[in-house]
Order: sequence, then C-alpha cells, then structure tokens
Amino acid sequence: MAERVLLCIGTKKGLFVAEGAKARKRFELRGPFSPGVAVYSTLIDERGSPKIHASSCHAFFGMKVLTSKDLGNRFKETKSPPAFPKSDGRALANIWSLETGENKKELWCGVEPAALFRSEDSGDSWQMVSGISNHEHARQWHPGNGGLCMHTIVRDGNRIHLGISTGGHYVSEDGGDTFAASNVGVGAGFVPDPYPEFGQCVHKIARHPDAPGRLYMQNHGGWDERPGIGVLRSDDHGKTWRSIAEGLPSDFGFPIVVHPHDPDVAYVVPLEGMTRTCPGAIPSVWRTENGGDSWKQLNKGMPKKDSYFTVLRDAMTIDSLKSPALYFGTTTGQLWIGRDGGEEWDCLFHSLPPILCVKVATV
Amino acid sequence: MPAVVHIPGTLQQYCGACSEFDIKASNVRKALGELESRFPSLYESICDETGTIRRHINLFVNSDLVLWREPTGLDVPLRSGDVLTIWTAVSGG
Repeated sequence: MAERVLLCIGTKKGLFVAEGAKARKRFELRGPFSPGVAVYSTLIDERGSPKIHASSCHAFFGMKVLTSKDLGNRFKETKSPPAFPKSDGRALANIWSLETGENKKELWCGVEPAALFRSEDSGDSWQMVSGISNHEHARQWHPGNGGLCMHTIVRDGNRIHLGISTGGHYVSEDGGDTFAASNVGVGAGFVPDPYPEFGQCVHKIARHPDAPGRLYMQNHGGWDERPGIGVLRSDDHGKTWRSIAEGLPSDFGFPIVVHPHDPDVAYVVPLEGMTRTCPGAIPSVWRTENGGDSWKQLNKGMPKKDSYFTVLRDAMTIDSLKSPALYFGTTTGQLWIGRDGGEEWDCLFHSLPPILCVKVATV
Repeated sequence: MPAVVHIPGTLQQYCGACSEFDIKASNVRKALGELESRFPSLYESICDETGTIRRHINLFVNSDLVLWREPTGLDVPLRSGDVLTIWTAVSGG
C-alpha cells in the first residue's frame, strides 16, 4: 500500500522534491538540489527500492546525472554523464529525458543534440545507441526554439517510441537496435510539405499499457493554414496518426498525459500558438473521456483572468492513486494540483523558479 | 619547477578536493591533455567531447587571458612557476 506521494520538480534553478500523504492536501518541499542549475528531466524509478534520477544541465561545467537513493534527501552525481564519442563531432548540450529500461539497472536517456544513450549500471556509464543517434536522418534534423532535443522515450516491450523536436516520431521494433521514422498523419506547419516523412516538431507522446497500439501525441500545432495537426492519436503503434484536436481552443500545447486507469482519458494544456500562453489569459487543462472525440475544460480553482504562463512538455503528470491527481508546473514557478482527475485545482507552491519538468510516484 | 594549476571551489570535487596542483606541460594545450588523463571529470567540466573549452570557462596564464578561440590560442607556453588558473566567466541570468 502506498504511503507517500513524491513529486520531483525540475526547475531552471535546481531540483525540488515535495512529499505528501495520500490525501495530497499538503506537500513539504525540500531542495533545491543542484542549486542554480537547470533540471530538464527527472525519473522516479519505482523498481525495487525507489531511486530518483535527474539531469543537471550546468551552463558552466556541462551535463551531470544525479541519483538519490533516499527519496530525494540527498543526491549524488553518477560516475559519468552521457557523452558523444570524441570522433563524433557532436557535444552534449542538454539532457531532456530519462526513462527506465528492461533490466533493473538499465536506464535510457534522450539528449540534445538529439541522440539516445543507454546505461546498464544505473547511470554510471553510458553507451550511445547508434540505431537512432547515427540514423541516416539524424544530420537532417534541426533545432526548434528549445534546441534539437530527444525529449520522449516510450517503451512498450521491445518496441520503443521516440519523440524528437524537430525530427518527428521514430519507432524501434527490435529493442533499440534499429529505428524508422513513423509519421504518417503527423503534420508540420513550418516546411513546404505539410506531411513530411520526418522533421516534425513533436512535443510529447503518451501511451497506456491497457490499450495496445494506442498512442496520443501533442504535436506542434497552432497553424492557421494547417489546422488540427497539433493533437493526434494512433491506434496502430504509431504507424498512422489522426487528428483529435476538434473541440479544443487551440491545438498548440506541450504536454499530453493519459489517465492511469482509463486509456480513453487524456489531458492537454492548450496554449495560444503565437504566445505559448493560456488562451484568453485563462489557464485550463482540457480532458477527453472518449479517446479524443470530445474535450471538456477543467479550471475550477484556477485564475479566471490575467494568466500568461506556459506549461512545458514535461511539466504535467498524473499520479496513480485510485482517484488520481494531476500536477502541472508553470514557467512562472507555480505548481498546481488537480484533485479528482482535474476537477478541482489548487496551487501547491506559488513562487518556485520556472518549472521545466514534474514527475510523481507513490512510494 | 613545474607550473601550478589553480582550481575554483566548485570544481575541486573532481580533483580530490585540492585547490591547486603542479603540472608538467610545456603549453596550455598539453596541460589540458594532462588534466584529461589525471582528472577526467575535471576535464569534462572544462571541455566538451570535442575538446572545445566550455562557453563560460576562462583560462588565465598568470594574469593573461588565454585566447583559446584563436587557432593557436592554446599553444601559450607554460614556464616553470607559471600559474594556470581555471575561472568561471561572468554570466548572468
């Protein structure tokens, strides 16, 4: 039985850990760890004794990976961060995603410039995954505003989905040895071809284990000339995608999250395409309960005016308790909780540094 | 007498907590090579995988800034008793 809810909050100025009881009324904050340093990705590894991993993206001294074995009371650098081979010519600029692998000590890491690394010793050493990092398309990907980043790693047994901005969606069917672009139906608003083979600006991909083959994608939408390409769904393991954006105030956004107990329920945070802030300055999470056929606005407890924040791609998550709560962090440093699946919202922390990522686990 | 390398406090964790150590190298480029073999994590904090000095790092030989972006910038000679200082550049934000 889970006793505590643990939040890891990566910010522009370090990593914070918040801990609360299952009722999720109050959370106690500790940190910042790696103070002053941007933390773009965290991972709460619940296999065995829980461990927290986080990237520390130091503007001065380069990238580090931090690990805590005591639920985020102390963090220690792993023996080495991911690094490109000297002969490669690329240099690590950021660490955007950390995910668990198949084996107990196996970790995966997506970086900027877009490439994938794998560790078999809990992050003490890393090997570049050539199948995607040296893919024939790799030198043709290009950076968006956030950099050329591999931000999403979704594992489904031997199948691995990757999200790259701007590179698109890639899939491996052989455990990561080889990858292929898989973007049929994924549009792009910034190149002449509206549906290129690759090069889309995918923002986030999510799946639910109880719905084999189904994936949700928040893509870079917000294009008047190419409407509806921002929120997508696949039912064939990402081979083809279709729009589910109808009913949303904007198809631009960054995160997309699936309910832990119902694969038909998903959440997005629509933003105005031009400003990347809340439409009409009114923040809202939008929820579908039917796999994207319709959407409902959720903002009870949120401000009703004058809100101009952004919710970044990894800054929304949902816990796995019976009545799950959503959590999102803003670029203005607020951490919000949406209890009862987003029905009622409350601001847990008002004045953190700009929030880059949020992860939750029950421990 | 060898040259001396001064290490800022934030990087001393990567070289056994020492603030300075002796180094036998005839120029800055060779000194960085020596650092890479003796203290790999320290070197990685100063240079990226391509060998480029990180954007916010400055090197000084005595009081002179090493113009490492120049083609021969790292060839600045190190003489006996010189002090090679690794320093973080002024950065805001």
